[in-house]
Amino acid sequence: MNFYQNIVLGTSVFAAAIILVFLALVFRRYLSERDQARRDERDTAITRNYLQRVAGHKVEDVRTWDRRTRLAAISRILPLLRGGERMRLLQIAELDGVLSETVRVSYSVYRAQRINAIQLLQRFGSEVCIGRLREMMARDRSQRVRLEAAFALAANRSLPPPRETLRLLKALNRRPTRLDIALLRSAAPLYPEQMLLLLDDDLPEAWRVQIIDALGWSENVAVIGALDSASSDADPEIRCAVMRASARLGHPAARRWIMMGLADPASSVRLQAIAASVRLGLGKTVPAITRLRNDPELWVRLRADQALEQLPAADTGTPQLSVVG
Amino acid sequence: MNWSAITEAAATGILWIAFACFIVVALRNIVALAQLIVAAWVFWTRVQPGKGARDLWQRYGDLTLPITVIAPAYNEELSIVQSVKALLTLEYPEHEVIVVNDGSKDDTLGTLLRDFDMYRADRTQIAELQQTRILGTYRSRRYPNLLVVDKENGRKADAANAGIGFARTPLVCIIDADSIIEPDGLLRAAEPFMYDNENLVAVGGAIRIANGCTIRGGSLQKIGIAHEMVPRFQIVEYLRAFLMNRVANAHTNTLMLISGAFGLFRRSTLVEMGGYRHDTVGEDLELVVRMHRFMRDNGRKYRIAFVPDIVCWTEAPAALKGLDNQRARWQQGALETLQRHRGMIGNPRYGRIGLLAMPQIVLEDIFGPPAELLGYLVLPAAALLGLLDPIMAVAFFFVSVVFGCALSVGTLVLEEQQLRRTPSAKDLLRIGIAAVVENFGYRQINLWYRLNGIRRFFRNDTSWAAVPRVGFTGS
Repeated sequence: MNFYQNIVLGTSVFAAAIILVFLALVFRRYLSERDQARRDERDTAITRNYLQRVAGHKVEDVRTWDRRTRLAAISRILPLLRGGERMRLLQIAELDGVLSETVRVSYSVYRAQRINAIQLLQRFGSEVCIGRLREMMARDRSQRVRLEAAFALAANRSLPPPRETLRLLKALNRRPTRLDIALLRSAAPLYPEQMLLLLDDDLPEAWRVQIIDALGWSENVAVIGALDSASSDADPEIRCAVMRASARLGHPAARRWIMMGLADPASSVRLQAIAASVRLGLGKTVPAITRLRNDPELWVRLRADQALEQLPAADTGTPQLSVVG
Repeated sequence: MNWSAITEAAATGILWIAFACFIVVALRNIVALAQLIVAAWVFWTRVQPGKGARDLWQRYGDLTLPITVIAPAYNEELSIVQSVKALLTLEYPEHEVIVVNDGSKDDTLGTLLRDFDMYRADRTQIAELQQTRILGTYRSRRYPNLLVVDKENGRKADAANAGIGFARTPLVCIIDADSIIEPDGLLRAAEPFMYDNENLVAVGGAIRIANGCTIRGGSLQKIGIAHEMVPRFQIVEYLRAFLMNRVANAHTNTLMLISGAFGLFRRSTLVEMGGYRHDTVGEDLELVVRMHRFMRDNGRKYRIAFVPDIVCWTEAPAALKGLDNQRARWQQGALETLQRHRGMIGNPRYGRIGLLAMPQIVLEDIFGPPAELLGYLVLPAAALLGLLDPIMAVAFFFVSVVFGCALSVGTLVLEEQQLRRTPSAKDLLRIGIAAVVENFGYRQINLWYRLNGIRRFFRNDTSWAAVPRVGFTGS
């Protein structure tokens, strides 16, 4: 065979192979559609079976349902249950070996599959799942998987202390992303004291900023002192973080920092102070914000205009206190 | 020179042309095959969009970067209200919608003012990127996140620039007013920005053909497949472009096009670059190519990403009439962009953009269409005249048509395996048939339209004809 004959043959084989794969997929879809009614019936039966078992009723043990089908049914039921019922369902799932299937997938060599397993482990949130998530966060070879595991733990309010979280995610070697910020914020209410201790470390400035920001989410008045001293920090990014934290914390002390922020030499701090005023509905800041309509910085003028439309005309003086700790 | 010398020279010429056509078509296919393999790898290893991180964003909604959706509108009186309502209800923690009425001749502006209870407001324009005059800005009493900008007519690029100038958010999403955005399209497109540390400047998303779908209230209700073959062929083309070409290019950091129907950009970068150019009919391609050039010339680290999930649905020409103009315009736009940025082609200073991506556009848009069309004529003729081995003509047919079928069907395999947005097995088969049939006639007609685009480019034709729309089912 000459060169062109080889091309004809190669192209034919390639095209035939792809068309065969496609036809197989069409056939798979056809079978899936044809069996839809039967699958719906089976799913209903599994759901009913688990709900009855959760309620303590006697049910027929059907061994033909595979683990994957049971897993899908439990995933559907779980968001509908609370408290004791939820706990019982998770115990039954463990006894049926359904969770062990998810745990097994979490050891897959494929990163995507491990992350998909994390999403299931997060949804179940049982002790076994949390244990496996911690293990993945600590030891998985992929940083992305570790990050996803950290998110899953955060969603279950089981994140390790912030120092450990930052170490395991090798976070301090890079700039923080928005996802890192979300993690720190979710760690803050769990470990407010440890967040404060972290500030004593020799941290990269970008991370110090984010830790101060996260203090606003701590729901704890013990952080006020740290915010107070940070409010006069030389770094404008730190002062910006204080504004964001103040807006979130809603402590009366915030008003003083925000007033200082509105007169700050850095435009980014003035912008954050305006945003904090709006969030807290601080009518007392209206005169200062009105002055900012003549600010040399365009963005400050624009935000000041916007804020004046949103702020209450009447002066309430004290912001709403949202701190519970 | 005697007659035999002339015929010999002609025969040699024909042979060279035949070989050149064969090589160009084979090269295009090698590139496409590489893209298919890379795309398959990306899909195989990608993490399915899940709720994990998204749950956390909902708790910390302020971490998502606010977005301004800019919808240039020209003579959209009949559909604008529904389109804007759909944009206002998109799932996103903080987004503003700016509708730019680009000097519509119908009552687009009046309809907007009445239906959204709007009043005249003097909104400050932060950057004046448009070349026409702004006639007024309006805000809604009912929707605080809606702004309408009324301006003189100046085409889509000018209208988008006006909108960018009024935007105050870090991200802007430029769409067509009649684009149907998926309810969570903004969230999905903005997701890469959550993992980014300030290097990401733009994100594109997969776009699908809405012909045959049921659209109500500006939202997609039911996915369907058009009865006509022309939209079906375009479904295959869009799948090939978005699931194969762009996924692979984004993976290798060589994404050169973000469709005008949906693109998410960092506002500050667009403003620095001066927005879209007004003097080209291919402003979306030109913008991304210029973005690469701008970032590299300024020595900045940057990234342009692509989300393979469908974020937007758009109506395609339902017949060849309309498609002709669209394809000629795309071709002309590509050539204008290549001419303007010719200094980047093969230039190592622009890294993989100069050495890989730009030569790929040259192959695809300059040499590709004429070589393939010429090949269909020259190779069989040369074989009939006995100038070359007939098996070479057969091989050309296999390399262009049969290989083309395989690539199209391969993209369908990716779609079915990964996205599964085709409604049923029957519809999947219909698109599969279209993927094969398009190579016999439609593909060649398209090449002809592209040659028209090349002709328009050389004639410096700046006329612009709107693509005729037939509207959506149930709209």
